[in-house]
Amino acid sequence: MNTASLVVLVSLLIIVGGLALVIRPRGVSTLDFYLAGQRVGVATNASAICGDYFSAASFLGVAAAVYVSGLDGVWYATGFAAGFVPVLLFVAAPLRRFGEFSIPDFLGRRLDSDRVRLVAVGVVQLIILSYLVPQAVGSGITWQLLVGQGIGGLSPYATGVLVSTAAITGLVAFGGMRGTTWTQAVQFLLLLSALVWLAIAVLGSGFNYGASVAELATDPLVNPVHVDGDWELATTPNRLEADAPASFAEPGARYGGLGQVALIITLVMGTAGLPHVMNRYFTSPTGTAARMTTVWVLGLAGLFYALAVMLGTAARALIPDAVADHPWLEELTVDGVLRVPEHALPVLGRIYGGEAGLGLVAAGALIAVMSTIAGLLLASAASWGHDVYERHINPQATQRQAVRAGRSTVVVVAFASAGLALGLRPESLTALLPSIVATMVTWAFALAGSALTPVFILAIWWRRTTAAGAVAGMVVGALAAVTMFAAGALIGDRGLGEVFMTPTMVAAPLAAATTVLVSRRTTVPAGLERIWLKMHGTAADRQAVRLARLTIAGVDQRPDDRGVGDAQR
Amino acid sequence: MTSDSDEHDTPAEVDATVRTLRRVAVGYFVVFLVAIGGVPGLTLVLDWWSKGRVIGGMSPSFVMAAFGLYVFFFVIGLAAATLSTAVESRMLGGPDDDAADEDGLK
Repeated sequence: MNTASLVVLVSLLIIVGGLALVIRPRGVSTLDFYLAGQRVGVATNASAICGDYFSAASFLGVAAAVYVSGLDGVWYATGFAAGFVPVLLFVAAPLRRFGEFSIPDFLGRRLDSDRVRLVAVGVVQLIILSYLVPQAVGSGITWQLLVGQGIGGLSPYATGVLVSTAAITGLVAFGGMRGTTWTQAVQFLLLLSALVWLAIAVLGSGFNYGASVAELATDPLVNPVHVDGDWELATTPNRLEADAPASFAEPGARYGGLGQVALIITLVMGTAGLPHVMNRYFTSPTGTAARMTTVWVLGLAGLFYALAVMLGTAARALIPDAVADHPWLEELTVDGVLRVPEHALPVLGRIYGGEAGLGLVAAGALIAVMSTIAGLLLASAASWGHDVYERHINPQATQRQAVRAGRSTVVVVAFASAGLALGLRPESLTALLPSIVATMVTWAFALAGSALTPVFILAIWWRRTTAAGAVAGMVVGALAAVTMFAAGALIGDRGLGEVFMTPTMVAAPLAAATTVLVSRRTTVPAGLERIWLKMHGTAADRQAVRLARLTIAGVDQRPDDRGVGDAQR
Repeated sequence: MTSDSDEHDTPAEVDATVRTLRRVAVGYFVVFLVAIGGVPGLTLVLDWWSKGRVIGGMSPSFVMAAFGLYVFFFVIGLAAATLSTAVESRMLGGPDDDAADEDGLK
């Protein structure tokens, strides 16, 4: 990366950081720090959710998966986008109406149990760590590939991990949810802009999407392999038809029939249990706004992933012919095919935008990592600071002490994950890390979809759900997912191993059945009627709308400064 | 500032609404599952689905995975959100419904 690229990258990061400082919460309140005062509008929240959700796995990973596996790679994009349909149908509105600060808080209050809250904190932290460590690893890899230089004697990888962790920790600790909401919204728009620019550049150069897919389908799919110290191209076997080569435009390059379904179910079910994404719903002003926010997210996610899939295809079709005009591609490719598929978007950026284009894509990748880390840190802070510190360690805490506890949690969790990332990523294992990132992100989805989502949905829609049932369901779901995943790692990802590596298809029904069976034998919490009214009634929504109307009417009738000030208060 | 008594729901109203919304959600979810399972599933039973050419040389399977499903997710999400909000407006809120209807907010 040259100076111009670095200037683009640093400028974008300064814009995002400045925004967080400007919009940081002025008062000292946990409602402001964790939930941005519950006044985040639909479009802003939808953009912030996308910033939270689209990590490096979405930005670089989806295009890379399509590049290396063709149609089978597209299932990642499909699963990531589809996950918000169950969120909309089952979770968004009731979750917001019931309120609270976090998933453990929601489950603890809904089931009137501190035990449920503490078990949920454990599961949530496990999910957050599973998601956080690969993001830190991803930032190290991105820095290493695109900047290539360390600072203060550190390796490029370690520099990337520490710089991005320190930067985003500062933003979150100072900005809280209010600052993070706006920076994540801006980060998403920058991310989307990078993809849109690349798509326009590629299409403007004469790229024909349909014709390229048809052309790629005529030859067997080949990918580089490292054999006896040399790189060579090898035909990818077809997992659906024995002894046949895989094709870019047909399924079978990566998954068998069962594997495709298992992956999609894991990604679909996992989204509703991701704490950093679900916490954002508490910031909506009403349940109806939370629901409409999800509709916006579905639209934005569709646009984002459709572009990522197209660019993955474009990279596969265009890079072989570009090698002759761009000699720097020779060291990155084997006969025109990229050795590291995650290079697909950065390489396209450099081909069509030179060093500045590369800088823009690099900034996009780091922004994707940082916005996701921000959401995860806030979710972790809410979980430790609110659910553990305020409720169990210091119930008499003042607002200032509680916010300070949240900020301390942000710092501790961030650097714990950075430490793990540094330990997981020794210099000698550079080539293996992208698969570790993808594996750990999928694992976070699997754990969330197996342990949290079934209990979450039952607690919202089934009155008979009890605290004992929820605890049993979470424990069984988590254990089943961990066990199957470990078994899958041992037996490999062929045949039944495909289901073991993406275990939600089995673990989630097991967790749901356990929750139902135990709940039927135990007693529902007291005050269920009141809880049900709060979670599914719309009185609070209507009151909020009425208050907003009165505020607007007050502003219209008394447009002088004092009137406006009163209305805002 | 309105008081709590201005807006309230009764347990019977909420129970009926929950049952209706649950039916709506499950119905849409079944349609969603059929679509999301059907796109990869058809490959196993219908050769044309992954080998035929429809738009610019893409197979129906590729078209659905690359564009069609995202449009479908958005449409089904919008339809479900609209219907759920309409159900809540009709079944909850009591006498204040008329005023809200007049304001075009429901």
